[in-house]
Amino acid sequence: MSLETYRLTEEPRYHPSADEVALYEAAYQMRLPVMLKGPTGCGKTRFVEHMAWKLGKPLVTVVCHEDMTASDFVGRYLLGPEGTYWQDGPLTRAVRHGGICYLDEIVEARQDTTVIIHALTDDRRILPLEKKGELVRAHPDFQLVISYNPGYQSVLKDLKESTKQRFCALDFDYPAAPIEAGIVASESGLNQQDAERLTRIAGKSRNLRGKGLDEGASTRMLIHAGRLMVAGLPIADACQFALITPITDDPEMRSTLSAAVDACI
Amino acid sequence: MLVSDGIKAAALSPALRKAFTGPDRDAYLRAHDRLRGAGYGAGIARAFASAAPRVAEHAGAKEAIALAGDASRIAIKARPRVAADYLDLCPGIAMKVCGADDFRQWRGMIVSVLEGSPKALGALLARSEMLLERLGLEALCTWTQTGLRVGGQDSDQALRFFQLETPEAQRLLERYAGEANFPSLETGLKSFHTALWRHEPVLREAIRDGSNHRVRRTGFSNGIIRMPSAFPGFKGQEQRLYRASLAHVGAHAAYGGPRFPLGQLKPLQVAVISLIEDARVETLALCDMPGLIRLWLPFHTAAPDGLATAPNLFAALARALIDPAFQPAHGWVRKGVAMFDCASDRLCDPAISREIGNVLGNDLGQTRVQFDALSYVVQPAYRDDNLGLWDLPDDPEIPPASDEIEADLQDLRQCEPGDRSPDRKQERSTPDTPGLPDAVKIVEAQTEGGRKVFSLPEYDHHAGVERDDWVTVNAYDPIPGAPGFWDALQQRHGTTISRIKTVIAKSETGKRRRLKQQAEGETLDLDAAIDAAVAVRSARQPDPRVYACIMPPARSIAVHLLLDISQSTADPAGPGISILDMERDAAAILAGTMSQLGDDLAITAFSSAGRQDLRVTPVKAFGAPLDETTGRALSGLRSGFSTRIGAALRFASRGMDDVSRYRKLVLLVTDGEPSDIDVADPEYLVADARRAVQHMRSQGIDAVCVALGPEAGQRQSEIFGRKSCVQITDISTLPNTLPAFYLRMTR
Repeated sequence: MSLETYRLTEEPRYHPSADEVALYEAAYQMRLPVMLKGPTGCGKTRFVEHMAWKLGKPLVTVVCHEDMTASDFVGRYLLGPEGTYWQDGPLTRAVRHGGICYLDEIVEARQDTTVIIHALTDDRRILPLEKKGELVRAHPDFQLVISYNPGYQSVLKDLKESTKQRFCALDFDYPAAPIEAGIVASESGLNQQDAERLTRIAGKSRNLRGKGLDEGASTRMLIHAGRLMVAGLPIADACQFALITPITDDPEMRSTLSAAVDACI
Repeated sequence: MLVSDGIKAAALSPALRKAFTGPDRDAYLRAHDRLRGAGYGAGIARAFASAAPRVAEHAGAKEAIALAGDASRIAIKARPRVAADYLDLCPGIAMKVCGADDFRQWRGMIVSVLEGSPKALGALLARSEMLLERLGLEALCTWTQTGLRVGGQDSDQALRFFQLETPEAQRLLERYAGEANFPSLETGLKSFHTALWRHEPVLREAIRDGSNHRVRRTGFSNGIIRMPSAFPGFKGQEQRLYRASLAHVGAHAAYGGPRFPLGQLKPLQVAVISLIEDARVETLALCDMPGLIRLWLPFHTAAPDGLATAPNLFAALARALIDPAFQPAHGWVRKGVAMFDCASDRLCDPAISREIGNVLGNDLGQTRVQFDALSYVVQPAYRDDNLGLWDLPDDPEIPPASDEIEADLQDLRQCEPGDRSPDRKQERSTPDTPGLPDAVKIVEAQTEGGRKVFSLPEYDHHAGVERDDWVTVNAYDPIPGAPGFWDALQQRHGTTISRIKTVIAKSETGKRRRLKQQAEGETLDLDAAIDAAVAVRSARQPDPRVYACIMPPARSIAVHLLLDISQSTADPAGPGISILDMERDAAAILAGTMSQLGDDLAITAFSSAGRQDLRVTPVKAFGAPLDETTGRALSGLRSGFSTRIGAALRFASRGMDDVSRYRKLVLLVTDGEPSDIDVADPEYLVADARRAVQHMRSQGIDAVCVALGPEAGQRQSEIFGRKSCVQITDISTLPNTLPAFYLRMTR
């Protein structure tokens, strides 16, 4: 099975904040694994999609969760009518056929499962399929990308030092206000002036990061709010619906955020 | 039936004749006579005769007659004068409350104050109409009960409370009146300021200023914002007002320049310049956050055409500068607006405030409008007192610098270095604050002192209320004891430790389990797979659960161990060893056991010296390693003070909020029943502790108690329930029994 279905057909829109495109291209040229750090909803996934499209490579995305085991990455034996047969996991598929494998929120997966990528991310570039007794050598086009949000995870959920040190890392943050307003406007179809108001509001919520809020409002949230406004909601309602209520359950914090939103509009 | 004195029924006033009929009239006359003959002075009986019919009208004859008994008790326990005051007050109260039942409740409240603190009754009576107005009857009763509790055995303290002289009395009054005040809003305000202006403010409650007047406006200096404890007269709008005030002060910090030099300026000019500066920073802030206008504008209530007094003109100018729709009548105000508009292209320059303010101030000076600087209060209420704008080094209004520095240091201790964002004004003004080196020395010298962590509620079973922020928790850093604690422990209890090790090694706890026949898993379960293959080939439905997986350990426990180190733990538990020594060793062995099991543990030692000082010493925090530091902290524990169990339990359970374990447990080791210096009633603390336990359990935190000594146990099982309490009579066995008990309990 090839990876044709994993190829992106349309260009995912991405607005660079700095020189991250050039950095990534250099890393891909040397097939170095890349780690994307940054808060949720700041455009990490969109960036990988954009780069996969730009480089013309298929993109296999695995969203990690805490019940994830090594078999979920590399594959497992399944039971067929004629006995057992091996089924490649998403990682193995990308390794065999040459694609970019993107492990989203890698720290969510159990720590003992993340070590399977070690042999893939140094100069060996191999993936041992222990259960099958096979050693898969990575296709020349294969590259591993992981994302991780250092903000909200607890100390328990951190990457092992030995894992971290295999990656080049790009630090993502919410784009600067004018760029972010442009993104919100183009993604949601909102006018520039309202988009600027939304980014100003987001700035206020990000001031509370770590001081009552785990994260401020993300660019993604702003786009949602923008779309709601395009659908006809007034800005205060759109912010309440798309930003404030999802972001916190604390009534006092909600009231504070509402007041901050109110101050900006 | 008439009494010796011989008041004839016919001689009674018409009001009395109307109020008391039949047997009530006799009862009234008897009561009146008793008062007269008791020797309290004629005034009391006269007051009774005057009050009784009016009370009878609203609350019934029975209540009116009962006043005589009350008056008599008051005259004996307090003073006859107070009894007369009471009688004079009663008709008004009877009119305000509805019906006999409520009036009886009010009387009961007065009597309870008389019993608890006779000295304070006069003060309460003098204020009771105001209090009743503000609080309503129910809340007034709760408030007075709290006042008696605050006073405890100290009658002066109760007196000050009922005179509303203590900040606590004011604060509780506001709380029970349902008025939001600074403490109740503080957290939200902090976040609001942080959201708007990015950096976290240092907020302080300002109660009295330098001349002991109630603080009415927000002030700021040296990076500290002082807000009034309440804004009376703004009921229902408190939160908006505090927010408006904070947004205004934030605008000063963001757009203000260096402090203005005072020079030879007259108070009038200072006030006008400050007013222009207020408008200038607000206008700038509104460019960035236009919505602030909705926060500020409602507090501008100045009329366009009031009397031309200075306060009216100032309020009108303040409004005119922010409210474009406002049409001021006075020429001076219009001139101010025109000048401000002319300078609109230089708004970023603080100098315009001085320029405009000087001109306007001179104009006003020539019109001979009177300005009384002492009674002047900035309008509208959200604006600050302007002192922070001026360079006033020796102004008595500013509290002594040492205070501020101490507060600042306390704050620094609590937050990470670099946590506070730079504040221009703070940076600039700190170096020239007089007396800085001295103040630092004073603080440094107080290494003995604890650091306030937070306040906890406490339950009063008499009043049936839980009082917020009643107990203050102070954290005391552990005093490092002798090194080598773990080696010494190994010598003392070597056999116990190795025995527990064997028990744990044998037990199944903490092992990974291999699960077969699972619907999902990492490997095929061979037996299940063969069965399924057989089923497929013999055309039967195969069982899809053909996988095996390994489960991580299911055990997930966190324990907060609370060690009672009150004075009584200094008692000997055996030859040469105290109870505290035993607690220490037991805690250490338990900690070892738990780290072997992979359970998370925090150890806190506690004692108390009244409700203002719940003394907690953190020996080990959750997630911290069990090492030499823990050993030294344990061996450094010293006995002293009392045992406020409820508060300690609340403290421990609050500390577990952030711990993500499946089972959470607070384990209290104590040698006696709850007691504290400011509580006379032993039931009070027991009831409170029981309440704390109930609350913890409702939060999913188990509370278990190990009671030490032959006498202990009874009270503890009342608090924790018999099943959650174990009594250890022979204290010297504690190091052995505690871990064993723990293992059994958590199996």
